[in-house]
Amino acid sequence: MTFNLEVILMTWIVIGILLLFGFLAVKKRGVIPNPMQVVGELFVKNLYDLADDALEEELGKKYGPMICALFLFLWMSNMLGVLPPLGFIPEFSEPTKDLNTPLGLGLMGFFIAHAAGIKEKGIKDYLKVYIEPFAFMLPLNLIGELAKVVSISFRLFGNIMGGSIIILVVSHLTYSILLPPALFGFFGIFVGTIQAFVFTMLTTVYISVQVK
Amino acid sequence: MNDITMWAEVAAFVGGGLAMGFGAIGAAVGEGYAAASANAAISRNPEVSGEVFKTMLVGQAVAESAAIFALVVAMLLVFANVGENASWMTVTVFLSSGLCMGLGAIGSGVGSGFPAGAACEGTARQPAMGGRLVTNMLIGSAVCQTPAIFALVVSFILMFTNFSDRPVNPTWAAILGAGLASGLGAIGSGLGGGLVAQASCEGVARKPEAAGTLTNVMLLGQAVTQTTAIYGMLVSFILMFKAFDPAGTTLAPAMALLSAGICMGIGAIGPGVGEGFAAQSAVGWIARNENATAELTRTMLVGQAVAESTGIYALVVALVLIFVV
Repeated sequence: MTFNLEVILMTWIVIGILLLFGFLAVKKRGVIPNPMQVVGELFVKNLYDLADDALEEELGKKYGPMICALFLFLWMSNMLGVLPPLGFIPEFSEPTKDLNTPLGLGLMGFFIAHAAGIKEKGIKDYLKVYIEPFAFMLPLNLIGELAKVVSISFRLFGNIMGGSIIILVVSHLTYSILLPPALFGFFGIFVGTIQAFVFTMLTTVYISVQVK
Repeated sequence: MNDITMWAEVAAFVGGGLAMGFGAIGAAVGEGYAAASANAAISRNPEVSGEVFKTMLVGQAVAESAAIFALVVAMLLVFANVGENASWMTVTVFLSSGLCMGLGAIGSGVGSGFPAGAACEGTARQPAMGGRLVTNMLIGSAVCQTPAIFALVVSFILMFTNFSDRPVNPTWAAILGAGLASGLGAIGSGLGGGLVAQASCEGVARKPEAAGTLTNVMLLGQAVTQTTAIYGMLVSFILMFKAFDPAGTTLAPAMALLSAGICMGIGAIGPGVGEGFAAQSAVGWIARNENATAELTRTMLVGQAVAESTGIYALVVALVLIFVV
């Protein structure tokens, strides 16, 4: 068994940044919020709304924190590649660039969705979905379900990997003049945010498909 | 200079030509569509011609990016340094990475022209929503580029992976199959994703209050539309990284791998476009009747899942060709 130390280190940096942000946002809470609190409330409010829309009121409250944490982790991970080198860390790279991170999160979403399905509908109704419309569709339904994990994780991985390849190659071809900042803006910040959101939304939808 | 080195150089030039040649098709069509819509928009509401012109240029710039990916790959191929230890795998690597990027840029280029056009017409219709329309268009066309980015990833991995320790016979076909699976597979999804983004831009102009919902459902629809392109990328990854047994001089195992790539590539085109239609209509009708968002989204997802089943058949056949036959 081998460990990719770089990815683990980067993941811990992401977790550290998020924890720090969390502490700062709630340290001096007040009716008149400080800027950190405003940003924190903005994230929580919008992501809870997303969960509420997809999962109805009650379940939305239950899965809201998970959705919120998932988005913040993915977003921070995708932003990490934009950071310049800092002190003892020669280079930041997105943990999502390694297929293991998206695949792990995709599997997590898969298990949460299926556990939620069994819990909400009962095992009988949960299993019935797989033999619809006909019993012989079972293998295809199973493959379709597993393909969801593949598609959600490869989508994130492909986008982040593609972005960093393009940045690397174009920076090299243009001797790092002029173009790289624009590319970092587009692939790093813009595409990174969209893909983090898409991943979060798909996880929410997978849960909502299972519980309904 | 031996015979194979010469063929590798030939393949690098041919691959570069194919990459840029095919890669230019989509972006040009998409940009033309955007310009045509901009003309229609300006004739309808000449006062905002400046705004429409700006929107058109921004949209065309994003549509162009697929062709720029192809340009980068073509440049790398044309100036590729063919080493002395070239083999038949080097020949197929150059051909395959060129084909992969060229074909992969077609769908995304055409597709991202659609939201650009719809945003131009929307700006003429609802000038106050200009900023929101441009944002929505940018998000939509950025997601449209995803299949082209997948093709780019595969094409780069093909170029920079060292295949020299693999047996030449089945691997040359696996390399070619990998390029075709991602390249062809990206066509449908790129086009389909564009249709969804178009409907969403139209919807924002039609019903500005629903802009948030429209963007969310668009992203969902586009994400599901890309699924078959992702199957294509999955098959490419398996073909590139699986170690195959040497096959001597028999041709059957090699052909099975090549067909696996072709099967997944072509099989992904239809579901990509079809799922795009499903999501296009769902987004379009949400703009007309926002109250039915939940029902429309559910119908869209179920419809897309059924449309995707043919893509899953292609995936199953491709996996059988790789692992069983």
